[in-house]
Amino acid sequence: MTNIDCDYLVDYLNGTLTAEENQQFEQHLTTCTECQEIVEATGQLPYLADPVEPPTDMKARILSNVFDETVEQNDQPKALKPAMSPIPIHKKRRKENVWKPLLAAVLLMSLLGNGYAFYQLSDQPAGTETAIQSIELQPNEAFTGTATAAMIEEEGLLNLVVQADRLAELEASQVYQVWLIKDGKPIPAGAFSPNPNGEGASYYQLETTSEEWDTIAITLEPKTGNELPEGQIVLSSEI
Amino acid sequence: MEKSTDTSLYLRVNKQDKDALEELYDRYEKILFSFLYKMLEDKGLAEEALQEVFIKIWRGKGVYDESKGKFSSWLFRMAQNTAIDLIRKRKKPTVPIEEASQMVSNDEPVEEQVVWQEKKTQIEMAVQHLSAEQQKMIDLFYFKGHTHETIADMCDIPLGTVKSRIRLALKKLKTSLHGMQERGAYDD
Repeated sequence: MTNIDCDYLVDYLNGTLTAEENQQFEQHLTTCTECQEIVEATGQLPYLADPVEPPTDMKARILSNVFDETVEQNDQPKALKPAMSPIPIHKKRRKENVWKPLLAAVLLMSLLGNGYAFYQLSDQPAGTETAIQSIELQPNEAFTGTATAAMIEEEGLLNLVVQADRLAELEASQVYQVWLIKDGKPIPAGAFSPNPNGEGASYYQLETTSEEWDTIAITLEPKTGNELPEGQIVLSSEI
Repeated sequence: MEKSTDTSLYLRVNKQDKDALEELYDRYEKILFSFLYKMLEDKGLAEEALQEVFIKIWRGKGVYDESKGKFSSWLFRMAQNTAIDLIRKRKKPTVPIEEASQMVSNDEPVEEQVVWQEKKTQIEMAVQHLSAEQQKMIDLFYFKGHTHETIADMCDIPLGTVKSRIRLALKKLKTSLHGMQERGAYDD
């Protein structure tokens, strides 16, 4: 039996064991000196790294994000500063319910085709400075769908509402994924699947401003949850 | 005042003590960032991974107790696993944006620097005891996060033996580290 457990060592070290196997191996570790010592020796490998000076403001960023996570129960959509890479997808859309009225209103206004009314409506939350930008996304050659994005800035948060129609049906696992891009670096910013009428919409909230982004794009992704685009860009626009 | 041990700080973090987390962060920021940078070759990604590690600790996702060995080994393993996840998520290797040389700092707190340098020298010596192939294997497995298939390919060994060869390489690393400790070169 011991040998079988020792065989888990390498998988344990690179984190590929299931929770149960992991527990089993940790149990094994308490009795197997050799595995224990190998784990400890491996634990010294990081010292091979050459010292690199961390960015001075990194500590403040990280600690505030770590502590925020708890307050927000970890799932408010929160994009980090653009320098930092994609947000883990599991953090997305917790406030969806809160914003559903807005989303509904945006869709309604859009149906009415009245951009001005939309502006007024979004201006409603009293006493806050709100900036709104509406963007028509351009389809690529082969794509028939259309989409409009509204970027609503409020109290340091950017609310991104995307509405699309004339969308082709998707296969079950596929999804239309919205991205905000700066200097070629994308972060996921909402996703949607079309309804039977070929319409889809997404809402996403980020701690950022529209100035921090240069492009918005929608790709057709083979699956949900991608943190970097795999699929083709179907619609896009400069911001 | 006596310095708190890592374990006692960790136990306080479990009770959501922010000061304790900050102290752990200060203690390990630089080594973790340097280590993650070595793995990911990108400052932004290293920061992302580091944040992920501390989020896991803060939320109690990884559980440490002393039966699992030294706290630092446990922490490094979590960091290494987090970085591997990031490496595997992005298919293409990242292009370093900044010159690494610009980031190496010259004005370290002396004590921290000395301890690090000692450990570095020691582990470098231990690594030198390995065959070239074993060194390569540890690099590919541990720092680059490559799959067994890639390692089999790059080291030109049968896929079926990759795991046992990695184990053997790590075992030899352990043995030579121990040898140095016994000769008194290592004091932890």
